[in-house]
Amino acid sequence: MMPREAEIAIIGAGIVGLCAALELARDGAEVVVLDDAARHAGTVANAGSLHVQMQSRFIRMYPDQVPGLERSLPLYVAAARRWAELEAELGTGFELKASGGLMVAETPESYEFLARKCERENRLGLTVEMLGRAELARIAPYLGEAVIGAEFCAEEGKLNPLLANQAVRRALLAVGGLLLPESRVARIERDGAAWLLHHAGGTLRAGRVVIAAGAGTGALLAPLGLDVPTVAEPLHMNVTEATAPLIGHLVQHAERMITLKQLAAGQCVIGGGWPARLAGAEQHPTVEASSLIGNLRLASHIVPRLARLRLIRTWAGVNTTCDGQNILGEAPGLPGLFLAVPGDAGYTLGPLVGRLAAAALQGRDGGFDIAPFSAARFRAAA
Amino acid sequence: MPPDMHLTWHDADGVARAVAFRAGQSVAAALTSAGIREMRATRRGLDGEGRGLFCGMGVCQDCLVELDGTPNTRACMAKATPGLVVRHQPFPGVARLPAGPVPIPDDTPPPAPEAVDLLVLGGGAAGLSAAIAARRCGLDVLVVEERAALGGQYYKQPSPGLDAPPLDAQHAQGAALAAQAESSGARILRGAELWGAFEPDRIAVFDGARTRLLAPRALIVASGAYERPHVVPGWTLPGVMTTGAAQTLWRSHRVLPGRRVLVAGNGPLNMQVACELAEGGATLVAVAEAAPGPATRLKDAIAMAVADPALATKGARYLAMLARRHVPLRHGTVLTRIARSPDGALRVTLRGAWGEGVHETDAVLLGYGFLPSQETLRALGAECVFDAARGQFVPRRDDAMMTSVPGLYAIGDCAGLGGAPAAREEGVIAALAAAERLGRTVPAAIAAEGDAARRRLARHRRFQAALWRLFAAPRTGLALADPGTVVCRCEEVTKGEIDAALADGAPPLGEVKRRTRCGMGRCQGRYCAPLLAEHLAETQGRPLDDRALFAPRAPVKPIAIADIVALAETP
Repeated sequence: MMPREAEIAIIGAGIVGLCAALELARDGAEVVVLDDAARHAGTVANAGSLHVQMQSRFIRMYPDQVPGLERSLPLYVAAARRWAELEAELGTGFELKASGGLMVAETPESYEFLARKCERENRLGLTVEMLGRAELARIAPYLGEAVIGAEFCAEEGKLNPLLANQAVRRALLAVGGLLLPESRVARIERDGAAWLLHHAGGTLRAGRVVIAAGAGTGALLAPLGLDVPTVAEPLHMNVTEATAPLIGHLVQHAERMITLKQLAAGQCVIGGGWPARLAGAEQHPTVEASSLIGNLRLASHIVPRLARLRLIRTWAGVNTTCDGQNILGEAPGLPGLFLAVPGDAGYTLGPLVGRLAAAALQGRDGGFDIAPFSAARFRAAA
Repeated sequence: MPPDMHLTWHDADGVARAVAFRAGQSVAAALTSAGIREMRATRRGLDGEGRGLFCGMGVCQDCLVELDGTPNTRACMAKATPGLVVRHQPFPGVARLPAGPVPIPDDTPPPAPEAVDLLVLGGGAAGLSAAIAARRCGLDVLVVEERAALGGQYYKQPSPGLDAPPLDAQHAQGAALAAQAESSGARILRGAELWGAFEPDRIAVFDGARTRLLAPRALIVASGAYERPHVVPGWTLPGVMTTGAAQTLWRSHRVLPGRRVLVAGNGPLNMQVACELAEGGATLVAVAEAAPGPATRLKDAIAMAVADPALATKGARYLAMLARRHVPLRHGTVLTRIARSPDGALRVTLRGAWGEGVHETDAVLLGYGFLPSQETLRALGAECVFDAARGQFVPRRDDAMMTSVPGLYAIGDCAGLGGAPAAREEGVIAALAAAERLGRTVPAAIAAEGDAARRRLARHRRFQAALWRLFAAPRTGLALADPGTVVCRCEEVTKGEIDAALADGAPPLGEVKRRTRCGMGRCQGRYCAPLLAEHLAETQGRPLDDRALFAPRAPVKPIAIADIVALAETP
């Protein structure tokens, strides 16, 4: 039966919504999670990179966001640790491995750029170091000759999101959380001190609500008078056939759009933020020829042995972008509505952001000052 | 004349042996001829056995071997050559260093696509007929065919280089059609891999050396069909293959699938192949047909004979030939289980109203009908609808064979399994429509042929309708699978694992895939997804619409990254 009332409703069964629900349900709250399974959100399409160091792509693309990125840096360290804790807590392996991450440079200029970034990150408390060609040849012999050096971050790594998502989902169901996977919320309406969620299967009245709807968050808040400029960014991913251990680290590039890693079962996952195309709300996002070719051309340049592997599948998912930073805490002027939208590398941040949102809802200190991440910043800008 | 060429086979234990083959044969044919059935290991090793030849046509991706150091190569699509080193494929394979120069990345976009009036995807009965007709209308035509030989799965021409005369009229007709296509002035890319259908005017094809981006002004998809899976315990065992795979072994390579052969399925192809293999010297253990005998459906048998007396006579001849050879033909009988017997043979259980029987055989041929290869059509956005009677998704088409996408035509079996005679007529009709659409004046004589093609098509369709009423049988879907039976061959996902996922919140197909990995493998879900979609429709009431299957995406089939990035410049 469709529930009509809930103590807490969570919009979005992505990694953020599931983790927030898990925290709240573990504390005894009655939690209902609503989701639109038909739409390709970030979590179901995510490839499982755990990002910790600042991604140079964002530094280059959005230089005005650098102060925000630097402020968020401690959260990424904590988020990667939270993932490891979560795997241990749930007792289900999700192939998480802190393999370390390499951000590679091909020119002296980009090596210098990374060296400056490395120094700044060290000052901010991150354990990172620069590696030259000789050290790379020892720890990452799979890299092509074009790579002259890299910034190494030991805390980066990878996991299998297919396993992780299911583990969290099952844990939530086990502690009594209710999941309505095909119940897309179309509209939120105030009802006294509570909120009405009009969804595909009816209407749910909830005392408090967590909005963890990724790119869909802005559209839910706009009718309530709050402008949160979340944007859906459709991205392209590739996976190869399985091969013997080849790529030991999470590999990124100082200048170009690439992420490379190898899953536990041997497949290599190639991504890096190449664009896909939204074909319409009810359609699957579409893979573009130029992204597919460009992404693979770059991948086989960085790791030449990839060229001999077959591409098995490509897929597209929707990433959420806003201003690069988390959107967290009670929505200004909307008491009882809590926001939980992670910043860049949202899947990495997911369990931590879910936990911080749950703490905010319970009025607890989650261990981080989330005031800078309030949606109030969009009001001030407007 | 004894074969005098050899390749070297290394089995799972690394033991090497010489395998003789005839010029023109595939690696799979050579191995089968030598009695080698298991070609690769799997990740999970369920059933305690690996895999071998299954579809025989490059679709299932099960007959993978390491070929001269290149892992995971399809034995059915590779030609045997003297001195070739073929190894049993362990899991996973090992990526070798690329042989050629390392690609240089640059930020320049891919080269502009190559323009062509008409691109025909598929060189079978439908595609060749379309290419010939389009050339006669003066169109610039490019045909892309995955195999070295033209003719497709109906005409199954002898593999190029095989010194063997045509077996029968069907072979001769195919040879004539291929010769006509070759002399038509159409450019034909053989051994070319279509790997990406991004837009109707952006098609990516690897021609054996380079990837070419093609921008056709009209596109005809003639991608044929592949066998509907028959999911029973043991259907993944080496030695179990599709009826089509066995027919290719015999007609294209002159190799029998085994000394003793059991054929089980639904439809006339099974009887034809049983006769061909018996003629070729195989011992037919039994032929099991799911439909009841024709005597119980006389009305449909008569309607079929009226629509096409020649084809109906051909069918009757097959029945007579099986009877003459004392091959047990059991109607109303379904294969329910395959197991390995202690002496290495396959032990097959057949079940019918008459009871249950067990047979021992060397090879099992499964031919439970076909599924249209519509992944390219779906990728290009052609609207597909579910044909409940035949249990297949088919593109919606107008009278000129055009899909819901302007300028995109679908002909032959990929558009709904009409058989080769209908496919040829559809090719003519679509080609003339494409020519008119591109502003060509179709000469009166050719237009008249179009009218004749329409009349003949109507008759072929009457024949097909009666044929499939005669052969109508319930689809068993997943009902014969045990909990331990593999449903997704590539990722080795069992029926029990799928049931467990379905019991947990009745998830849609995409979520079943993410939870179980069903459909995530090399064949792109071609075998498991249609069955699973129908299962979800029955058990969860989900609509069988465009979104009932997985999102169709590149690559169409797995392809080496080196081949994708080896971009040709626009000529």
